[in-house]
Amino acid sequence: MRLLKNLIKYSLLTVCSFSATAGCSSPVGSSRAASTRTIVFKHGKIFGDSGPLKTLLREFEVNNPGVSVLDEELPSSTDEQHQFYVINLQGESASFDVFALDVIWISEFARAGWLRNLSDSLPVAAREDFFSATIDAVTYREQIYALPWVIGAGLLYYRKDLLEKYGFAPPQSWTDVVAAASQITAKESNLHGFVWQGKQYEGLVCNSLEYLWTFGGKVIEDGHSVINSKENINALKMMRSMIYDFHITPEFVTTLTEEPSRRLFGAGRALFMRNWPYAWSLFEQTSSPVYNKVGVTTIPRGPAGESYATLGGWHLGVNKYSRSPELAQKLARFLTSAYAAKKLALGTGHEPTRRSLYKDPELLRKHPFKRKLKDIFEKARPRPVTPYYMMISQVMQREFSAAISRIKTPQHALVDAHDQIEHILAIEKQ
Amino acid sequence: MKRFGLKYLYLLPAMLVLMLVTIYPLVHVVALSLHRKLLIFDISRFVGFANFEFMLGDSRFWTALGNTAYFTLVSVALELAIGLGIALLLNRSFKGRGLMRSVVLLPWAIPTVVSAKMWEWIYNADYGVLNYLLNIDINWLGSPAWALNAAVLMDVWKTTPFVAILLLAALQDIPDDLYRAARVDGAGTLKILQRITLPMILPMIWVVVIFRTLDAFRVFDAVYVLTGGGPAGSSETLSIYAYNLLFQTLQFGYGSAVALSVFICVGLITLVLIRAMRRSEW
Amino acid sequence: MVKRGAMYLLLLVVALFCTWPILWQFITSLKPEAELISLPPVLPNKPTISHYQSVLLESSFIAALKNSFLVAIFTTLISLAFGGLAAFALAKLNLIGSSLFLAAILSISMFPPIATISPLYVLVNSFGLRDTVLALVGLYSTFSLPLSVWILTSFFKSVPDELLQAARVDGCSTFQIFYKIMLPVCMPGLIATTILVFIFSWNEFLLALTFSVTEASRTVPVAIALFPGLHEVPWGEISAASIVVTAPIGLLVFMFQRKIVAGLTAGSVKG
Repeated sequence: MRLLKNLIKYSLLTVCSFSATAGCSSPVGSSRAASTRTIVFKHGKIFGDSGPLKTLLREFEVNNPGVSVLDEELPSSTDEQHQFYVINLQGESASFDVFALDVIWISEFARAGWLRNLSDSLPVAAREDFFSATIDAVTYREQIYALPWVIGAGLLYYRKDLLEKYGFAPPQSWTDVVAAASQITAKESNLHGFVWQGKQYEGLVCNSLEYLWTFGGKVIEDGHSVINSKENINALKMMRSMIYDFHITPEFVTTLTEEPSRRLFGAGRALFMRNWPYAWSLFEQTSSPVYNKVGVTTIPRGPAGESYATLGGWHLGVNKYSRSPELAQKLARFLTSAYAAKKLALGTGHEPTRRSLYKDPELLRKHPFKRKLKDIFEKARPRPVTPYYMMISQVMQREFSAAISRIKTPQHALVDAHDQIEHILAIEKQ
Repeated sequence: MKRFGLKYLYLLPAMLVLMLVTIYPLVHVVALSLHRKLLIFDISRFVGFANFEFMLGDSRFWTALGNTAYFTLVSVALELAIGLGIALLLNRSFKGRGLMRSVVLLPWAIPTVVSAKMWEWIYNADYGVLNYLLNIDINWLGSPAWALNAAVLMDVWKTTPFVAILLLAALQDIPDDLYRAARVDGAGTLKILQRITLPMILPMIWVVVIFRTLDAFRVFDAVYVLTGGGPAGSSETLSIYAYNLLFQTLQFGYGSAVALSVFICVGLITLVLIRAMRRSEW
Repeated sequence: MVKRGAMYLLLLVVALFCTWPILWQFITSLKPEAELISLPPVLPNKPTISHYQSVLLESSFIAALKNSFLVAIFTTLISLAFGGLAAFALAKLNLIGSSLFLAAILSISMFPPIATISPLYVLVNSFGLRDTVLALVGLYSTFSLPLSVWILTSFFKSVPDELLQAARVDGCSTFQIFYKIMLPVCMPGLIATTILVFIFSWNEFLLALTFSVTEASRTVPVAIALFPGLHEVPWGEISAASIVVTAPIGLLVFMFQRKIVAGLTAGSVKG
């Protein structure tokens, strides 16, 4: 009997030690394993050079002896990342400590109680330096739940060589885009007029909202859906016309996400493109077919007279279930510090969330393009800030997609969207 | 008496797991469907049949139901027709029958996800081999008119072999005497097919139709991986809609109601088909 | 003679119909990156095995392969054990209501997994089994149970009662009859069931997608469906991965074609 017990004990021990080594995939020195605390930093794929981030993490380790940071990339799209976090956090997983949140998830995760309150890391005085829209995005019920890290907003890219050749100025309004694109594509071969992100996914919502806003429409007001408005119908009609009336946007736009549209434009096959700031540095490589031929301007104006770009960005939150919350918060604070933000902006090309950096001579010398972005970020509009955003976005993705692929009329799509959004919003009410 | 009880012990393990993993969840899903339940915000409120009421007015639900019905009808019809053809062919005597049967089984046996990825690549609008071979330019997966049909085509490729193999088994059970006698009577090939072959395999045809219909109606992975239900929901089936409600936004109440609707539909279809089978004669 | 020629031609057409997507996937897997985005040429100019290398060096894919094997093997064992016992009782022990039980099991196998996935999610979470291989094994064993019971019942029924009576006269207990007589005699049925259950759990997607969140339990179909790729879809690697996953199944099909057909028909004829 004794023998049997010991046998079981030893075999269990062996299994345990085996699984312990198997679970530790990184070759962190096992000699100091005993005293090391590990912080897992999870984020989406880094566009551009990931070297600067790694350097910063090593620096954090040096400044915090006994701490090692494991940097884990989620290689999937934002929708899949969302699902990953939701399912993990729902299961109270402690498998990551700090993570990068898409700007649209923050109120949802805060409402679900999955994020550590980080208000003490961002006192009111310190908030001044950040673009106000990012502060709004990380705030839920007056508390801060994520630290602003990287910002983005919609931009209109154009081929300055072609506009010059045919005597057009950079477009100011949607009608300018249509006019230039129709005339130039009629004369140039193998050129699409205007490409954007029309696939049924979050990117389509970002694109569509820019039309809705510039046409004077809104989605939610005072806790109710106002999506079914005359302005919004006209906005969707305009998107449709780009494809089926003016023929400046190819029909396959309904399959395009950021990268395919960026590659089309980057190969010199499109006159205009709506995209995020990241694309710029890729066109500015000398090997690019459109090197030195690209200009950037704000999203065109519509009947409402203003230009509105959709705000994007990734912000750092701390997992409520983290086993080392203070340390995790320290890492989040370090990575969002002015110092780290500058390193990332210089090396990786990230757009920092701090206004002051857009005046930094060193940064502007290296990336003169960023000078232009400050005003755009100041005016960028967040998508509806509500814990129910992801559900509402699902509805918009689907209905906008139906409208631009002519499955429904814009009006029909918006009526359906309105009913579903009201149903979602009703859940908080009695 | 003791022996009597012991016999049932053999059923016990199977019964227990089936209770835990199928019967109990089935009861629970009904309960869930009567709640407005958002797992992520810990919201759970009993709402009676409100979810089903909303479902009746939910255009997305009706589109998904329509897509599912279309997918089921067209794919089962095509699979039956082509499968019968292949079965008749394989029922002849030729060299390499075993090898041929393996070849035919292959599409059925490979993972659905793999076949969806394969076809996604074949359908690719820019570099897809299908457009190249047919020398056309169709946006198979990106256009609302084609996406669901593309999924049907893939399913036909994947499951026709299953149909063919089952029908072949039935064909092989037909005694040769019957054919010989018919030929003596001077019946032609068509007559034999109509008078002997089809009536003899009718029971198996019904089995296949029932199996395939129920299987096609709950289709998830094939379409989910191939098109994700897009574009604009034009290929979204009921299972995909339910899955998205449940796991993209953790709407467990309404999601369960939609999931339950799949179950109800499958139940109704089974009843109708079994009644039709009982009444059928060739 | 012409007729025979036509028949072989038709057979060739059928064979091509069944295999060309797989062949195309294989060809794709050998194409270097640059050749993937141009057609023609149909065949690779410079065939490469680099996609296979990068897939097989990818630790997450290896982990998925390992999980898939673990899940498939344990599922098969449990499903066969539980299913075998039940089938034996149903086929040979003259139970009251055995046909009712069989009908119930058949109807369970027909019902859509999506219908119960939300309660199962709650159940698995409450047992703390989320994202474990164990959860998948448990669920698959149950979902494949109807299949095992049906096929094995039909095989067991075909064993003549005299054989069992003879064994009983020789002093065998019921359980001994089961494992000393039934199992060896019905080896073909066991093999058929093994293969079908193995294929089922190797291929299953919906449950795996729902319950495996990380590499700890992710199986191959989920790994392929969520293949990492940011910029564009890495078709070369997906093709290579597909071929790797299809290979064991292809092998089973070619080795056990007869058994698979026997299992499929046994499972359905009596329906």
